[in-house]
Amino acid sequence: MIMQDFKYAIRLLAKKPGFTILTTLVMATGIGLSVYLFSFFNMLFADLPFKDGESIVIIAASENGATNFDRLSIHDYFEIRNNVKGLSQFGAYSEESVNVIGREGARKYNASYTEPGMFELTHTVPVLGRTFATKEDKVGAENVVIVGFDIWKNQYGGDSEILDQILQISGESYRIIGVMPEGYSFPRRAELWLPLRKDAKQLSRDNTEYIRGFARLDEGVSKQEINQQLSVIMQRIEQKYPKTNHRKSAYIGSMSMSSVGSGIAVVYSMQVVAILILVLASINVGNLLLSRAVERSKETAIRVALGAPRARLISQMLWESIIICTMGGIIGFLMVAWGLEITQGITAGFFPGKMPFWWVFSIDAFNIKLFIAFVISTIIVTGLLPAWKNSGENFNDALKDGTRGALSKKSGRLNKVLVISEILISLVVLICASVMVLSSYNRTHADIGAETQGIIVADVALSDARYDLASKKSEFINTLQSRLENSTGISDVMISSTLPGLFARTNKLEIEGKEYHDNKGKHEANAIVITPGTLGKLGVELQQGRYFNNSDNGDDKRSVIVTESFVSQHFPKQSALGKRLRFTENDQQNPSWLTIVGIVEHTRQGDNPTRSKLPSVFRPYAQDPRVQVTVAMKSALDKTSVTKILRDTLRSIDSQLPAFRIETYTQSVYRVSASVRFISSVLLIFGIAAVVLAGSGIYGVMSNTISQRTQEIGIKRALGADEKHIINELLIAGVKQLLWGGIPGTILGGALGFAMGTVMGVGINEIVILSLTTVIILGTIVILATYLPAKKALQLEPSEALHYE
Amino acid sequence: MSTTLIKLENIEKVFYTEEVETHALSNISLTINKGEYVSISGPSGCGKSTLLSLLGLLDTSTGGKYQLAEHDVSGISKTERARIRNKEIGFIFQSFNLISDLSVEENIDLPLSYRNDLSKEQRVKMVKDSLEKVNMSHRAKHFPSQLSGGQQQRVAVARAIVGNPSIILADEPTGNLDSENAAAVMQLLDVLHAEGATICMVTHDPRSAERADRNIDILDGQIISDQSNPAHKNFDAATA
Ligand SMILES: Nc1ncnc2c1ncn2[C@@H]1O[C@H](COP(=O)(O)OP(=O)(O)OP(=O)(O)O)[C@@H](O)[C@H]1O
Ligand SMILES: [Mg+2]
Repeated sequence: MIMQDFKYAIRLLAKKPGFTILTTLVMATGIGLSVYLFSFFNMLFADLPFKDGESIVIIAASENGATNFDRLSIHDYFEIRNNVKGLSQFGAYSEESVNVIGREGARKYNASYTEPGMFELTHTVPVLGRTFATKEDKVGAENVVIVGFDIWKNQYGGDSEILDQILQISGESYRIIGVMPEGYSFPRRAELWLPLRKDAKQLSRDNTEYIRGFARLDEGVSKQEINQQLSVIMQRIEQKYPKTNHRKSAYIGSMSMSSVGSGIAVVYSMQVVAILILVLASINVGNLLLSRAVERSKETAIRVALGAPRARLISQMLWESIIICTMGGIIGFLMVAWGLEITQGITAGFFPGKMPFWWVFSIDAFNIKLFIAFVISTIIVTGLLPAWKNSGENFNDALKDGTRGALSKKSGRLNKVLVISEILISLVVLICASVMVLSSYNRTHADIGAETQGIIVADVALSDARYDLASKKSEFINTLQSRLENSTGISDVMISSTLPGLFARTNKLEIEGKEYHDNKGKHEANAIVITPGTLGKLGVELQQGRYFNNSDNGDDKRSVIVTESFVSQHFPKQSALGKRLRFTENDQQNPSWLTIVGIVEHTRQGDNPTRSKLPSVFRPYAQDPRVQVTVAMKSALDKTSVTKILRDTLRSIDSQLPAFRIETYTQSVYRVSASVRFISSVLLIFGIAAVVLAGSGIYGVMSNTISQRTQEIGIKRALGADEKHIINELLIAGVKQLLWGGIPGTILGGALGFAMGTVMGVGINEIVILSLTTVIILGTIVILATYLPAKKALQLEPSEALHYE
Repeated sequence: MSTTLIKLENIEKVFYTEEVETHALSNISLTINKGEYVSISGPSGCGKSTLLSLLGLLDTSTGGKYQLAEHDVSGISKTERARIRNKEIGFIFQSFNLISDLSVEENIDLPLSYRNDLSKEQRVKMVKDSLEKVNMSHRAKHFPSQLSGGQQQRVAVARAIVGNPSIILADEPTGNLDSENAAAVMQLLDVLHAEGATICMVTHDPRSAERADRNIDILDGQIISDQSNPAHKNFDAATA
């Protein structure tokens, strides 16, 4: 009997292949996208893979209420640690990258400076040696290090005699005391661990150090309770130290979220759109199957009249849903498996080093459970409800109604509601999606103000210990620059703290002649240092004055170049040349005035849509030497040859200095926006899926409605309506539905889009254009979804249409 | 002296469906005069409905010639056919075929709404008159689902006659009705006929056929007999 029903369902589906393919694909898209989405977020928000991992929390700072896992002053951390109730196993840590000199030469590694207790918190023991002892966290104690599995394998070949060997880390010697197991890189992507050795008592508040805290949440205590306590504690500190703690607070978050950092806002918005798409997909499949059930209500009524038991009817209808949902689900799941594999590869690229170790985007038990849950719930929603609704009462009505040969009034109204809600939700989703896509397009396609072609870049970090004096730094940079310039194959060498398109340090500044009362009034700009010649060689155009030359070298000189954006912001309608400014955030009590000698075009630093308009101020390296510089080399040679030249040159000056992150300038600019690019392409896929879902959904329901009305069309034609009449009538009905769904949809979508646009740097004009375009696209779909099925219905002779079932 | 309204010459209709050819009608020649009341009978599947569809321009023949009111309508455009259906032909179906979204008066107004030679007032009056003819004025605002079968069919009749068509085509108009309602509908057709309407009705029911003044019998798509109803001889003679 079950087989019989199954075969019957297959026959029905085969009879309408278009419908079957459409519903299956909608189902595949819906389930695929939602499983992908949930896996993605499950991964981002996953608990740590340790025993009691869910109770491990991170203590971080927030400023002006923005919770971006900022680092916390060590003073505040100790206050919190001494006063908060409900947290235990405290520790402070700080993540940094360090130069390690091993067998293969110098290399950068991610280090975690930590208080003892981190390994105990995560219930992990070393595979070799031991963890930190409390006495090792004192300033002045012996330098010890615990290395990760990768260093052990790669630098020491898995040597079991590794313990007590000495490792050179950032210019100092450390004794290896332990090796952590494979895959362990707590808190995020640490490759080695060092004692933190920070004592708040030895530091003043004005000169504090920044760390993050880890702790365990006691059983039965909620995060909210802790966060309430933290804000009380932090308010008290703010009252006491208004200068350093103005508007600062602290909070705890779960470890997994802290990896996402400031990207969390984008992720949230993405979630909203994705959830709406999910809703859309579910409505669509429900719609299609429901209208199909409605279409067959007469058949059902006849079966009921013939005495079919209810269970039997439900089983029959359910089969169709089971087949469609399962088929669609499997297709969707295959897409997810593929999508996650791609995601894994792409997200790895966001991080210069390693991804958070527990991020593994792949099919796992969670996805499979989710998949099964989705398929079952879609079967229930799409199959059981219409079946239940159709199998019982009022079969007599359905019979009577059916004999009248027109679409029953009730199902007609239902279809209208379905189409209208489809249009409404589609508009909201599409407008939001297009705002996001546009925003990320803007971010990734803006002019950075420099030429990136044919340039290889590398970072070099001078150790503080050996380059303590400004003159030593300058001397090193000069030597490096001239030796590189004299190497065959390298045509230009540019050295700077950062390059256009990459992130820059910002500084508060004052302009001579303006009055400032407090910190708030001070202006902000990117503070970049460069060697003379760099701007010109990068193609950053000079607009007024001059570039730096050798006469600017020397820490007694005081010259700056500013961008045109700086001039229009601070000296509108007057010449900025010769005007003076000074940076106010540096440690100096009385910073010197700097004279503007040149004006260049605007350079964009970073990819944040609002921050990228920030003007820049360039100073000669010799006037403000920094420890970390980016060396850019213009060369016709390939990357490997340039890398070799750079390494050899560095070694000839200082054998302990590594060059790291060697890549083309284009690649490094690309990396800045890599996560946005990735999210943007995911959004684009989601957007396209939304268009397809919305389009197919609207088309499906509308064309079904019209095909259900074939008989009615036949009657009207028998009464003398010609084709034009019929089509006009249907188009008017379609346009009415478009208006009913479209007006609230545009308002709602526009409002959401506007809210998102303000965060994401998309203007109101652009949102209006996007909304109008979306309305036009949906309008076209509605008109096609009316016109094409109407044409098809009109191809039947009226006599056939009258007998159409 | 009677004028010819319909003239069929060697009409045939073949349905082609997946490998099967159905010869629904072959070699039908037939003339119907103005004012005639014709019944068409025959066993199920013999082609009665098909013939009526061809007469009503709901379908096209695969061969032969069809003249309606002395115009050849075999090869005319779809729009032209729609116009003729609208003005010249009134349909009554076995399954009533009212539009459930529309009220009784809107259903009746439907054919008029497709014309553009009538003013709003004229249409209202015509709908009112025809509702009165079928005695359904008290249900003008009702919806089809709120009516009995007999009432629905009376509304369908009103809709068929509202535009003063040249001919009323009815396909088993009493097929879905009980005898009492059936009698009422037949009575209605009698009255219309008496007022001069031309009626062509497909029926299974010999008692219904008896009311017509000409009976055509079809078997396997061919006319096997076509004779005046003996019961109406005198009546015919008297009116002729
Ligand atoms: N659209 C169609 N396609 C194929 N065959 C058809 C079609 N319409 C009718 N036929 C066939 O044409 C023949 C005549 O059908 P028709 O509907 O005219 O019969 P009928 O005399 O009205 O029968 P009934 O008294 O049962 O209504 C039948 O054999 C039928 O199967
Ligand atoms: Mg028939």
